[in-house]
Order: sequence, then structure tokens, then C-alpha cells
Amino acid sequence: MANVEGKATAITVLTPVRRGGPLLLWLVFWAGRNITETLKKLQTLSFIHYARWAVIERFPDQGEGERLQYSYLLFESNFNGTWDQYIDAFSEVVAFRMKAIWGTSFGFPGPLPVEPFKQYIRRNEFVANHYWSAYPGATTTEIVSAGRVEAALERLRSRAATLGPEAFKAEYESFLTSVQRDL
Amino acid sequence: MNDAHNTSGQAYGLTVLTPIRDGHETQLARDLDLLQGGDDSPLARVPRTHFARWVVIGDVVYEGPRQRRDRLSLGRLLFTSNFDGAVAPYLEGLRTGLGEAADAIWDHCEGYPGRDDPTAFAAYLRRHQIENALFFAAYGDRTVEQVKRSLGVRRDVIDFALSAQGMGAEALQAAFRERFGQ
Repeated sequence: MANVEGKATAITVLTPVRRGGPLLLWLVFWAGRNITETLKKLQTLSFIHYARWAVIERFPDQGEGERLQYSYLLFESNFNGTWDQYIDAFSEVVAFRMKAIWGTSFGFPGPLPVEPFKQYIRRNEFVANHYWSAYPGATTTEIVSAGRVEAALERLRSRAATLGPEAFKAEYESFLTSVQRDL
Repeated sequence: MNDAHNTSGQAYGLTVLTPIRDGHETQLARDLDLLQGGDDSPLARVPRTHFARWVVIGDVVYEGPRQRRDRLSLGRLLFTSNFDGAVAPYLEGLRTGLGEAADAIWDHCEGYPGRDDPTAFAAYLRRHQIENALFFAAYGDRTVEQVKRSLGVRRDVIDFALSAQGMGAEALQAAFRERFGQ
């Protein structure tokens, strides 16, 4: 069992969806894909590497797929930090969206207060049997920051060739100032 | 399958659910639990993978009397991956990268054709794929290689900034050139 790999944590949740839920979910996810607010909100959480939702109408098998009495909502996330911090932040920052999504599932107590919500997630969570990350030592913030540092360094390098020592020093210092929050 | 729903930038979110052969669930879970982690994981040999996981789902959760009880006829093995680029070349990289591990794992699943035939292997995973409803990637424009490289650059810049403190202009420029070229 391995939900943790270095700084990364995996979460996998599968919940039964109430009748009528799939249509609402279709709308919510359509809006999520086309009105980018939800995705931007997730971006502001700044500790999620990758996440996904999927609605399972039929569980794939050798034929047409196995249809149960309900559809199921699958959620997976790859994030840095602890499970508790993650659920806390989720319930605070994206409470409305979570209500729209998991409100269609049986037993969802609402994102707040957070304790019943945590119990709900624990109940419906499956622990990964094997989990892997290509860069287990890095947080989402470090990765996004590193991208900015690399781009700024590239700009400095391209200008540096034409500069004398004093002008270079000034450019270098302004480079450091521009990336100091990313170091 | 609408692959647009599975992508964010150049990143792709693969979700595969395969039926576990009757009676194989415990052994499969044990085999997966015993896989080496980190650099020794079979997934480390699959190019372009950012994050991936296997999860044994024995049955669906029952949320109490407000719902009727559902039961899966067979458990399912969930495999998810977050990777760079198109799905077809990735599945081929998965087949060759995992090698024996692919067979050791998916042999526990119904209908698995083995890894010898690339077309059959890819078709099996695609047939058991679930389309994502919403896929989020914080840096979906960045490949694994780009992520690793920029993390290295950031470390270099930090080291350099510390070592260059208090240097005069000429020494600074020379040291910068030596470290980062021009």
C-alpha cells in the first residue's frame, strides 16, 4: 500500500451517484471544461500536480461493460502535503464546486464542517497499491517556480553576451530580484 | 472516446479499469504492494510518465440505507497515468517499458492478451479506458524532461547566487559565463 511517494500523495475516491446525478454532473463538468473558473481555482490551490474526475456509467469488462444500479464518480489527485491539509484546503477554497460535484453522490455531508467531510472521503477512498512519481522531491510550487526561473535565466543569458561587466551586474541583480520569490 | 476531455495542454490523463479474474484479487494486490518503488519501480522505465498508480478496487462502497446495495461481479484494477503527448505512443512505451511487469500485473485481469502483440496490448487498455469528465494539470504545458531540467536550473541558480554574493562585476560575469555559458 503506497499513497505517498516522496512529497507527493495520491488520493483515489469512488462514490455512488444518486439518480439524476449523472445529468447534473454532465452539466457541472461541461461548465468546468468550458468556463475555466474551476480549473483556475484549482490552480490557485497550488499544491495539486494533476487531478481528474470521471463518471463511470459502466465498469468495463469483456462485453458491453457492467452496469450497476448507480453510476459512480471517480476522483483522483496527485498533490503535495498531507492528506489533512489537502482536504482542509479543498473544503475551504472550492467548497461551492465540491458541493456541485459530490452533492450528487450518496452520503455526501457537504464540504463544511470539515470533519464529517473527511470521514466521508476516508470511507470512499481506495489506497493505491503502487504509486509512482517522476520527481518525488518536488512540490507543485517548486515546479511552476522553476519554469519561471529557467525562462528568466534564458533571457539574461541571451542579453549577457553583449553587455560589459557593470551592465551585466546590473542585469544580473535585476534578474535575481525578479526571481527571488521563485528561489 | 473524446480525447480532448483527457488532455490539458500537452498532458494526457489515462484512466483504465480492467476486471480482475475471479479469485485473483488478493494475489494481485500483494504483487502490486511488493513492487519496488522510486527509481526501481517498473513505472520508472515508462518514458513520459509524471505520475501513475495501480489501485485494486475490490467492490464499490455502500453508503448506507438511502441507496440500494450495488456489487461488482468482479473487482477492478484501476490504472491511471498522467503523461506527455499522445496516447498511442505512450501505450507502446508502457508495453516495452514495463516488460515482464505488465504481464505479471494484467495477467490477473480477464481478457488480457499479453504484451507480445503491441496492437492487442494497446487495444485491450483502450477498450477498458474511461473517459475523463474533467482533467486538471497545474503545468500541462511542461513535459517530464522540461520539469526535471528546470528544477535542476533552479537549483543551479540558487547555488550560483549564494556563491556569487559580494563578487565584483568582472568576476561575476566570468563566473556566470563559466556556469551558464552565453
